[in-house]
Amino acid sequence: MSRSEIFEKLNEIFIDVLDLDEIELTDDTSADDIEEWDSLSHIQLIVSIEKTFKIKFSSKEILSWKNVGEMVDCIESK
Amino acid sequence: MVVNSVEFLFFFVIVFLLYYLPFRSNVKLQNIVLLAGSFFFYGICEIKMIPLLFISILVFYFIGIQIERYRDKNNVLTSVFSYLGIVLGIGLLIYFKYFNFFIESISSSLTAIGLHSNLHTFNIILPIGISFFTFKLISYTLEIERGNITASHDIVAFSNYISFFPTILSGPIDRPGKFLPQLAKFRSFNYNTATDGCKQILWGMIKKMLIADNIALFVDPCWTYVNEQSSFTLLLAIIFFPIQLYMDFSGYSDMAIGVGKLLNISVAKNFNYPFFGRNIAEYWRNWHMSLTGWLTDYVFMPLNIKYRDYGVNGSIFAIILTFVLIGMWHGASWTFVLFGLYQGLLYIPLMKSGAFFKKKKIKLNKSGYPCFKDFRKMVFTYFLFSVGLILFKAPSLLYSYHFLHAIVNNWSLPLITVSEWSRPVVFFGLSCLLIVHEWNHRKDEYAFSAPLFIKSHFFRIVFYYVVFAVVLAFAADSTQFIYFQF
Repeated sequence: MSRSEIFEKLNEIFIDVLDLDEIELTDDTSADDIEEWDSLSHIQLIVSIEKTFKIKFSSKEILSWKNVGEMVDCIESK
Repeated sequence: MVVNSVEFLFFFVIVFLLYYLPFRSNVKLQNIVLLAGSFFFYGICEIKMIPLLFISILVFYFIGIQIERYRDKNNVLTSVFSYLGIVLGIGLLIYFKYFNFFIESISSSLTAIGLHSNLHTFNIILPIGISFFTFKLISYTLEIERGNITASHDIVAFSNYISFFPTILSGPIDRPGKFLPQLAKFRSFNYNTATDGCKQILWGMIKKMLIADNIALFVDPCWTYVNEQSSFTLLLAIIFFPIQLYMDFSGYSDMAIGVGKLLNISVAKNFNYPFFGRNIAEYWRNWHMSLTGWLTDYVFMPLNIKYRDYGVNGSIFAIILTFVLIGMWHGASWTFVLFGLYQGLLYIPLMKSGAFFKKKKIKLNKSGYPCFKDFRKMVFTYFLFSVGLILFKAPSLLYSYHFLHAIVNNWSLPLITVSEWSRPVVFFGLSCLLIVHEWNHRKDEYAFSAPLFIKSHFFRIVFYYVVFAVVLAFAADSTQFIYFQF
């Protein structure tokens, strides 16, 4: 799956989980940019991403992400 | 030496002058002045604990460098040094703060089941500010281990991070990632930042000296002489206490942040208008943010990630455990454990109903204030928090029972006389007005500035001096900051 396809799917997941009308995720997008993205919705996002991409992240990986770009890097590496 | 005292003013003027004047553009000397000031300040408060603070700093400085040295190269040694940091940090807290609590709990449990106990408590002095600086030490260890920061190789800068005098006694709990980089470059005097800091200090003084201390004149005797108070008076004491606590603690935080601004150092935010929370989650998101943020990052998130496959129940477990720790952080007592448990349990209906996840903006009426439905939710949340604070304020579980018992049984006792309660009630009313004022400034960092209709710079300065004089004139006898005990 290409990076742009991952971003496309992530956009859908973010809109669904965070109950947003629209969003345009970039590499630099972080929780500071989206009010609805807090510690609890973060876990919902991860669960949804793991189900969609049929992958499993380690705790260390999840805790190391600083922005969406690093999250996508991690998905690509699986 | 409290921040709002004359002694502190003298101390700070000396530090301020040495900090900026003779050492122009010399960051090392500036940091040394700051460190000398911090150790002098801590020494004045707790001279016996200076060696503890000094050794803790040295040990964690070493641990930080070792974690960085082995990170990405040797996972075993990285983990060994990380765990060493965590164990030492928590160990410090457990020894000084919780050791006697555990002994007493074990001893009373043995007695309760009919066994004789020879366990005795120890005479351990609680170092002032230990809950705050140990959390900084642990945070530093974890942030290096996670790769979010690099270890400090400047012992003076690192010591300043741990012992920074405006925050060492009562927070806010700064994070190394935001604080340490500020110490790497020279802080030149910035007039706008400094005047902003002065305004924030004045706002903190209004909250603490004018509001909190005056409300304390009513609330504290109610708690001391419970059996002599009528039920109605005790109920008022419950309702007044969250405002007193907020004005006291957020007032201190404003003063600490303001002093930081005078030194051109940014300190973490601690409160963001919590009384506008429509449920307990919104409330806690904006209350003592540097502590809740710390526990969210280092306790709640790892737990929630670990138990994510259990869905909402996993999150509820993580929330409750986090809140029990928040409660215990405040002190070694079952009242604080139950205080945390109570706050955590309040999340269950929110989580189960899904209301927690729907972040709707507050609906406003035509005047720009919250609509009745949202206002009602804010009042209800305040009430829920007030009830929980009975456990926070009571010195023991038995005492909180006595307090509740007195509320149920003291309806026949006469109310306190008008002369006794007129002043606190006036100040409670004033604090309600201040909260309305906060609503109008809720997008600002703090809710204080000269009115816009005063255009002249000179008269704006005069306004601040008048407010300062009013604070001094109407301030109640100063009481200790509530959070100094933690």
